[in-house]
Amino acid sequence: MPTAYPLPTNLSPATVANTASLIRIVALALISGAAIASRLFAVINFESIIHEFDPWFNYRATRVLASKGFYEFWNWFDPTAWYPLGRVVGGTLYPGLMATSGVIYNLLHAINLPVDIRNICVLLAPGFSALTAWATYMFTKEMKDASAGLLAAAFIGIVPGYISRSVAGSYDNEAIAIFLLMITFYCWIKALKQGSALFGTVAAVFYFYMVAAWGGYAFITNMIPLHALVLILMGRFSSRLYVAYSSWYAIGTLASMQVPFVGFQPVKTSEHMAALGVFGLLQIVAFAQLVRSHVSSHQFQKLLATGVISIGILGAMAFVLLTYKGWIAPWTGRFYSLWDTGYAKKYIPIIASVSEHQPTAWPSFFMDLQFLVFLFPAGVILCFRELRDEHLFVIIYAVVASYFAGVMVRLMLTLTPVVCVASAVALSTLLDTFVDPTEPEVVDDTRSESGASTISAPGTNGAAPSPTTPATTSKKAKKAAAAAAEHPTTLSDILASSSTKTAKPKGIYGLDTRIMVVLNTICMLAFFVSHCTWVTSSAYSSPSVVLASSNPDGSQHIIDDFREAYYWLRQNTPEDAVVMSWWDYGYQIAGMADRPTLVDNNTWNNTHIATVGKAMSSSEEVAYPILRKHDVSYILVIFGGLIGYSGDDINKFLWMVRIAQGVWPDEVQEPSFFTPQGEYKVDDNASPAMRNSLMYKMSYYRFVDLFGGAQAMDRVRQQQVPKVGPTLDYLDEAFTSENWIVRIYEVKKEDSLGRDLKSANAFAQGKKRKRSKPTTRRRAIL
Amino acid sequence: MVYLRSLLFLIAGFATGLNAKSSTGDSVLVIVEPKQQDNYSLFLNGLKKQGYDLTFRAPKAEAPVVIEYDDPTFAHVILLASENKVFAKDITPQSLVELLGKKTNLIIALSPKQTPLSSLAAEFSLTLPPPGTPLISYFPKREGPPSVIPVSVPATHSILSENLHPVWFSGVPHSLGNNPLLVPILRAPAESFAAETDGGSPDALVDAAERGGEGLWAGSQLGLVTGFQTLDGSRVTWVGGAAIFSDEYATKEVSKGVPSGNLQFARDVAKWTFQESNVLRIDRTTHNLVNSTKSLEQYTTNDQIVYSAYISKYDSKTSTWAPYSGIKDLQLEFTMLDPHIRTALLPVPGVPGKYSAAFRAPDRHGVFKFLINYKRKGLTSLQSSTTVAVVPPRHDGYPRFLSAAWPYYTGAISTSVAFFLFSAMWLAGDSHEKRAKGHKAE
Amino acid sequence: MAPKSSPPAASNVVHSLWKAYSDQTSDRMKFIDAFLVFLMLSGVAQFLYCVLVTDYPFNAFLAGFSSNVGQFVLTASLRSQVNPENKNEFKEVSPERAFADFALGSIVLHFFVYNFLG
Repeated sequence: MPTAYPLPTNLSPATVANTASLIRIVALALISGAAIASRLFAVINFESIIHEFDPWFNYRATRVLASKGFYEFWNWFDPTAWYPLGRVVGGTLYPGLMATSGVIYNLLHAINLPVDIRNICVLLAPGFSALTAWATYMFTKEMKDASAGLLAAAFIGIVPGYISRSVAGSYDNEAIAIFLLMITFYCWIKALKQGSALFGTVAAVFYFYMVAAWGGYAFITNMIPLHALVLILMGRFSSRLYVAYSSWYAIGTLASMQVPFVGFQPVKTSEHMAALGVFGLLQIVAFAQLVRSHVSSHQFQKLLATGVISIGILGAMAFVLLTYKGWIAPWTGRFYSLWDTGYAKKYIPIIASVSEHQPTAWPSFFMDLQFLVFLFPAGVILCFRELRDEHLFVIIYAVVASYFAGVMVRLMLTLTPVVCVASAVALSTLLDTFVDPTEPEVVDDTRSESGASTISAPGTNGAAPSPTTPATTSKKAKKAAAAAAEHPTTLSDILASSSTKTAKPKGIYGLDTRIMVVLNTICMLAFFVSHCTWVTSSAYSSPSVVLASSNPDGSQHIIDDFREAYYWLRQNTPEDAVVMSWWDYGYQIAGMADRPTLVDNNTWNNTHIATVGKAMSSSEEVAYPILRKHDVSYILVIFGGLIGYSGDDINKFLWMVRIAQGVWPDEVQEPSFFTPQGEYKVDDNASPAMRNSLMYKMSYYRFVDLFGGAQAMDRVRQQQVPKVGPTLDYLDEAFTSENWIVRIYEVKKEDSLGRDLKSANAFAQGKKRKRSKPTTRRRAIL
Repeated sequence: MVYLRSLLFLIAGFATGLNAKSSTGDSVLVIVEPKQQDNYSLFLNGLKKQGYDLTFRAPKAEAPVVIEYDDPTFAHVILLASENKVFAKDITPQSLVELLGKKTNLIIALSPKQTPLSSLAAEFSLTLPPPGTPLISYFPKREGPPSVIPVSVPATHSILSENLHPVWFSGVPHSLGNNPLLVPILRAPAESFAAETDGGSPDALVDAAERGGEGLWAGSQLGLVTGFQTLDGSRVTWVGGAAIFSDEYATKEVSKGVPSGNLQFARDVAKWTFQESNVLRIDRTTHNLVNSTKSLEQYTTNDQIVYSAYISKYDSKTSTWAPYSGIKDLQLEFTMLDPHIRTALLPVPGVPGKYSAAFRAPDRHGVFKFLINYKRKGLTSLQSSTTVAVVPPRHDGYPRFLSAAWPYYTGAISTSVAFFLFSAMWLAGDSHEKRAKGHKAE
Repeated sequence: MAPKSSPPAASNVVHSLWKAYSDQTSDRMKFIDAFLVFLMLSGVAQFLYCVLVTDYPFNAFLAGFSSNVGQFVLTASLRSQVNPENKNEFKEVSPERAFADFALGSIVLHFFVYNFLG
């Protein structure tokens, strides 16, 4: 057969296989190295520190686990969170992440490597990203072949959509969850392909691990049943499907209920009912198949079919009835807002206020995925061409994930793996076509010679040669063609099978087109790498606890206000002093300042958060009883007006008002915080409610003094603050950080003479008390 | 003769109260014009005999200061200079309030003249009449000006001695406000009223009366001597006229053969204000499970908890704190934002000073406080707050092997047993078949 | 032809079905089927108890019931894998491997059951 470029002919199949394996292993090792390395920007630029907000809680929990052991962690009741309600941590978190870190910690200590728990937590995510790359490789290998697998591993190793949640320091559930997602899917596909209960059990065990690790396990809980359902509806029911799904569902669901936070949800909530329904359906269909094999009567078969369908409909109606009666809980707010996107804004402002829950904008797709965005549909279409059971899975996953990624920015993360897989399939197919040296035959020789592919030179970033061995005889080629017709693995085989039908040669002549396309692909991959690296280093590697800006001379200026303030709290306040702040900062205060907080990022109690919101948005007199009732000693606010930090509390203030309004619509009304023209102003035109609110007073207290008589300018709102600043009667300023980002106020104790603090302050300053009407006990007789 | 005898009797009377000392300190500063110091000799010498350390100072004198570098120099201060309009720099209304905050007790005397102290009275929710309107009463018929009034004292009073003789009073009344910290000690007689006698303006009085309603500045709703106990525990007594402490009134007879009760009254007022009488404190509190003595940091829901408080009262005669079981209405609250349990802390018979309550911890987990908040007029307020966590049962703290679950246990166990049997028989059958197949193949 | 759902025809069909079943299935299959029937009865009994009497230790009910359901499913999978008619379906799963998978899956299942039971 003619080849575009010469190939060595003196290699035995064993050598080729071994070399291929070696190159694959080396490639995977390099991919892991790249994945880990690209996540270390934050550690190198700043320091080994836990980022953001949620990871601080996970870190605190892991510290408890490492120091006190697993049973204390399992029963841990945290009296400092959600003061005074406390938090039963053991039963309200997903312990997978902490347990993983704990195991690694104990393992390392057992072999005398005393690694600090903080470093384990910081570096866990990069470590698991390497494992994710491997899991994606295995998954894609099932779809197409190992070369596509390596491409997929490389993509997911460096793609920004995944990096954003797994940089070093981002110690969050997604760090291990994506790895578990891919490996569960891999085990499912393997179970389906082989019809093996072993892989079904292994998939169930990994599913259990996933349930223990992340709340997004509901995605797997619905993806696999959806896949099974589509297979049944397409008429592809087989015993393998039965074996795989049943073993996965039975063991997996039972295992998932072991996690206390999940509890009985798998049998009582709507999110899990699809899996149960498909399970039941499978049993019915399998039974019907079994019976059918024993009975030949045509009418009986028809009777059976109608029986099956009616049972299915009855089952569905039973589900609806149970949901209506309340025995099965309806979709919870978080998941319901995925279907009805306007629901959260109206009814659950807390969910709507999280910035990660906003719909995705178009540019973020490109930023997170770059050229994979347009390779992805191509890959999905290629799946349609083969359409084995596993390709259906990728297609369903792609459609579902695309919808969800469009609804919520946070769910870009679940889209990323399937984008990597599909794009890898597409790119690998492209490369297979253009690297394959076989040139098509002239028209009359179509049947015999086609079929075998050869070793291809490594041409792309990490791609490896295809694993098929070279065929030297045409007999083998025929056998290979016959085999390939059943399981097509390379494009040439596809060509062979298709050419036998259409009897037209398809292929690429000559070396020039090959070189052009391959070079083009290499360039695009190079752009991809540079894009990913740039996005990672500039956008996703900020610890957000430490901010960085540049001095006029270009050097880096670190803004460490948060830690300065938290450590002031830690060192200057009594150990049981309760700190009130908006819920964003709760975990950080608990982690770094080690003080009780009223509300934190767990946001499980809306009324408690609304109480804080009401205190922040009311005047001092109204807020003071709330503060005393909750034993609050210090209040912490974030103010960015001096330095231009736009994530401050005045910008979040309207959310506080909205959440408080949800619980106390008579006392807090959002329109009263706007000017009569409907603008949100903090200058002289600010509405009285705004001006008297605790948040405004705390933010701008003594702000005017900084400017020494000149007009005080709020750099974030770009407005001029009124010349006469607010006065505080019930609070004392305790601490303001260097750039005025964090301001801490102490709540005054009640006046010793039982007066209200406003009059007490007026007296202390020497003002004369207004003569009030003396009380009289005599009433006029009318 | 009779006069002398009653005087001796009086002196002997309070000689029995020798060495009765305060629980918070013995140094007393008396701010009085040096010329008038001798007018109060009986009262002040009585204090000296009891063991107090008196220091005298003119109102305009610079030394000794009442407060230096945020530290009070004296445990108690008596302000008898009620007519002075100008005081030294360190005696201002604000500094007096600061003194109270630092646990110094005060006796402050007012007069019909307008002084800085009159504005201070408003901070204690006492309203004074316009200047120049002292209290006058034309009943009972007596010689002497109508502004010198004998006031009868109720027979039983938590602060004053029992069956005290009527007390001579001359000065300005005040109207009591709503503040719950006020402790009325002496109220005006029903027939008395405030009227302008020297220098007061009748229009001002009419104006004040109109604003306040008719009959405001008359009758027994007016207070003459009122105590005030601050939230920090210090006590201050507002006296409508300094003359109530004077020797003249102490020796004046109320009616034939009945001496006035002024001296005893003055002693009682000083006793209360200087933290000798009606002084309680909580020595310690303990909490534990019913059958143990260890205090835990965490309790489990539905635990039976016992809480005990040990309270003692100050005995001024022996200057010691003795356990006191006389409080009948002490209450304990087990609070998380709102009280979940509110129960009576009853005195334990047989153990003096111990009050105890046993209750079941609520079914709700959280951070709770044992709260004692006991405020009664005239008594020291008892406040105690102990924070404790109530946690849900541990994962292995729940009852196990429930009898209602036996069908499920048998189901699970029978399945496992059946599985083992099945596998054993299957493998046995397998090997049997293989041997059979093997035979067949041969 | 015979009507679809007239009672004599239905009972005839069931009878013929039973005859076909007992003729066509091997002894080992019947052995598995007996085990399956036992499991089904046990599961139904537990479910009835839960619905009629009490579901109080719900976790115990779930554990017991899932034990039955899981074991049933695994055994049914074993049956389909060992059935010589399905050889083409299960290319990579020999009957021996099928049994090993079955045993492993059952052990994992029972481990979770006993953890959830008490």
